[in-house]
Amino acid sequence: MIQKKICMLGGFAVGKTSLVRRFVTNVFSDHYQTTIGVTVEKKTVTIKDQDVMLMLWDLYGEDEFQHVRDSYLRGSSAYILVMDGTRRGTLDTALALQQTAARTLGTVPFVSIINKADLQSDWEIDEGAIEQLRARGWTVLFGSAKLGQGVEELFLSVVTQIMHGAPLPTEHV
Amino acid sequence: MSRRPLHSDPSDDPLFNRVLSTLDIAIFERNGRSGEFRLQGLAPEWWCARGGSEPSTVLDLEQWSPFLREYVAADHSAWAAESGTIEKSGPWTETDDQGGTITLEATVLSMESRTILLIERLGAGFEQMRSIVQRARDRVLAEDVAVKSHHKTETRLTNQLEVSERTKDDALALLQHLGLAALVLDERGRITFASDRALTLLGISTGEVIGRQWEEIIPFHQQDRAIFHEMVNAPADRRTAGPFSIDSAQPSWIELDIHRDPQHQRRQIVVVHDRTELHALRRVLNEQASFHDLVGKSPAMLRVYQLVRDVASVDTTVLIEGETGTGKELIARAIHSASGRREKPFIAANCAGLTDSILTSQLFGHRRGAFTGAVNDQQGLFEAAEGGTLFLDEIGDVPQPVQTALLRVLQEKEITRLGEARPRKVDVRVLAATHHNLSEDVVRGSFRADLLYRIRIARVQLPPLRERREDIPLLAHSFLMAICAANGKTIDRLSPETLHRLMSYVWPGNVRELRSAIEFAVISCKGTEVSPADLPPEIVGMPAVPTLAPWIPLQDRDEKSRLLAALSEAKGNRTEAAKRLGVSRATFYRRLVELDIHPR
Repeated sequence: MIQKKICMLGGFAVGKTSLVRRFVTNVFSDHYQTTIGVTVEKKTVTIKDQDVMLMLWDLYGEDEFQHVRDSYLRGSSAYILVMDGTRRGTLDTALALQQTAARTLGTVPFVSIINKADLQSDWEIDEGAIEQLRARGWTVLFGSAKLGQGVEELFLSVVTQIMHGAPLPTEHV
Repeated sequence: MSRRPLHSDPSDDPLFNRVLSTLDIAIFERNGRSGEFRLQGLAPEWWCARGGSEPSTVLDLEQWSPFLREYVAADHSAWAAESGTIEKSGPWTETDDQGGTITLEATVLSMESRTILLIERLGAGFEQMRSIVQRARDRVLAEDVAVKSHHKTETRLTNQLEVSERTKDDALALLQHLGLAALVLDERGRITFASDRALTLLGISTGEVIGRQWEEIIPFHQQDRAIFHEMVNAPADRRTAGPFSIDSAQPSWIELDIHRDPQHQRRQIVVVHDRTELHALRRVLNEQASFHDLVGKSPAMLRVYQLVRDVASVDTTVLIEGETGTGKELIARAIHSASGRREKPFIAANCAGLTDSILTSQLFGHRRGAFTGAVNDQQGLFEAAEGGTLFLDEIGDVPQPVQTALLRVLQEKEITRLGEARPRKVDVRVLAATHHNLSEDVVRGSFRADLLYRIRIARVQLPPLRERREDIPLLAHSFLMAICAANGKTIDRLSPETLHRLMSYVWPGNVRELRSAIEFAVISCKGTEVSPADLPPEIVGMPAVPTLAPWIPLQDRDEKSRLLAALSEAKGNRTEAAKRLGVSRATFYRRLVELDIHPR
C-alpha cells in the first residue's frame, strides 16, 4: 500500500489536531489541549480504486515557544497549512511556515484551510487577504473541524494533488 | 517500579540499573551486523507494558510510530562521530493498544564505536512544561478574545455615539428650525444648552454661554433674578415665571416655563416665550384705557388723548373747555407731562372769585410796599413757573384789568411785578381752562376778544361724562380700586344693578361727581360688592334714563341730525330736547351754536 506523509502546519490553536481527529476518528472536542511534539495518525483512503495510507504528522503549533524543526518535514509528500479565521495573525504564521516548508521540501503540493468557519461572523481574515493568498497560487479552503465541514474535502484535495497533481476547486465550506 | 533482568551484560551493574529505573529510559545498542537494536540492562515498565507478557529484547520499529522509524532511519551525525555527540528527536506521542498515550523522546549517541539509542518516557518535568505552555497559550487566546470583545464594544459604542450624535444633531436642527427658545441648566444652574432663538431673545452671544451660571448670563433685573432663582429651585415639575423685562440691544419681554428634565431630574429645561409683542399690545390697550391720569377708552376720550399728544408737541397756548368736573386740570397736567417742559414746574392757578389786585399780585408778583401788607418782594406764579407751564383755570372769570396784563404777557413774554416799572422776561407756556362759553362772553363784552384769540390757538374740548357713558364702568372700577386701597377696604366689584344705576345717571358733576359717589359707596358698603343701596340717594332715587337713548357723541353731521331729531320730538322745547339727549340745557345750547342750528 502506498504511504504518504502529510504534515499539518500552522500557528497554535488553529485546529490542526482537531482537523486530524475529525478526519481520522470523526471526533471533536471543544477543549483546547496544546500539542507538544509530534503525533502521527494514520488513515487509509481510496483514490480511484487505489488505497493510500496517509500518515498525518500533527506537528506542534508554531509560536514563540516552539518552532517547527526542518527534520520533521523531511519526507513529506504534501503539507496542509491551517489558519484560524478569527485570528488575523495565524495567516502571517502560515505564510512564514509555507516558506520554511518550501525551503525544506522543495515543490510539493500543499493546501491551506481557514478553519473555524462556524465563527465566520467573527473572522478577521477578510476577502481581500484571501484573494492575496490565491494570487500567490495557494489553494484556500474553508472549513470547520467543529462542524465537520470541509474536512474530508481538505484531505482528499491534498491526496489528489499528491497522486495526480490536480487540485480540487478551491472553495469548500 | 519493578524491573527484571532481560539480558546478561556488564550493565547488570545494580547502580546502572537503578539509574535507568529512575530516568525511565530504555537503552538499545545497534548490532553492527544485523542492524538490530537490542535492549541493554533492565527494561522500563512502559516497555514491558507495550510488549505484553513476553516483551522482546529487540526493538521492532514496525510496532512503533513512523516518527521513531524515521528518526532511527535518519542519517545522524552522532553515529558517525567518535564519541560525546548526542542528538535528540524531540517529543512524540505513542498510542498503546488500550488507546492510552505516552510521550517519548529518543536520543542517539555513539560511544567507543558502539551505537546507542535511548528512548525516554517524558514524565513529570515534561508535563510541567506542557502545562506552562498550555497556560501561556490559553492566556494569549483569552487576551485575544478580550481585545476583540473590547474592540467590538468600542465599535458598538462608537456606532451608538454616532447614532446618538446624529439624533442630537437632528433634534437640534429641528429645534432651531422650529425657532423654539430653550435653555438647559444642570444641577448647579450652569447652562449646558441654549438654542439660537433663546440666545436671540435674551440678547446673548453664543460663545459666552455654555458652562456659565445663568445668573452671569441672563440679563435679568435684580428683582426678576430673585424670582427666577426661586422658581428654578421650586419643587414642582413645571413652573411658569414672568413676564420679565430683558435689557439688551433689543429690549424684550419674556415668560419662562421651567420643566424638570425627565431624563435627569436635577436638570432643568427652561422654555423662553417671547412676550414682547403681547406686552406692547397690552401697553397700547392700557394707553387706550387711560392716558396719564385720565381714564376712559370711549371714542371721545381717544380723540382727546390724541389731541393732547398733538398740542403737547408744540409750545402754543391751549384753551381747555369742559363742564365742571370733567378733568380739565388733568388734561393740562397731561399736556405738560407730554411736552418738552415736563422737567420744569407745572403750576395751577384758579382765577375764579379773586379780585383783580390779588390775582395780579398772585400771577405777576409784587414789590415790597406795593400795597398794604406787601412786606416782602414776592415773585408771581409766572416767575415761579419759569421754563414750565402755568395752568390758569376758570380764565373766563378773570377781571378785565388782569385780562389786559395777561394779553401783554402772552404777546411780549414779559411780566411786571406790582409796584415795579421794570418788566421781567418769562418763558412760560400758558394753558387755560374754562367752563364758560368764551365766545358768548366776548359777545357780552365780559372777555377780551384779542385775549380769546391769543389763548385759543389750540383747543381741547372735554366731553361731559353723560356723553361718554361707556367709560363709566372703567372709571367706577378705577375709582373703586383706588379708594379701597386708600381706605384699606376689600371690595371686589360693583353689582350689575349698581353699574346699571351709574350708567343711567346724568352726572351733572361729571367725573368728579362719579368719584365722590364711589367714595360714598365704599364708605357705605359692608360686603365685598357695592350694591345700589350703597350709592348716594340722588343717584338711587333718580329715575333711570332710558337706556335706549344714551347720547353718544358722533361726528358733527350725525350729532346735528340727532339734535334736530331731539328738538323735533320735543316739539321745539329745548329743555325737553336736552333732557331727552341726557345733556344739560347749557351744553345743548352750546352745541346748537357750535353746529350752527337755529331752531324756530
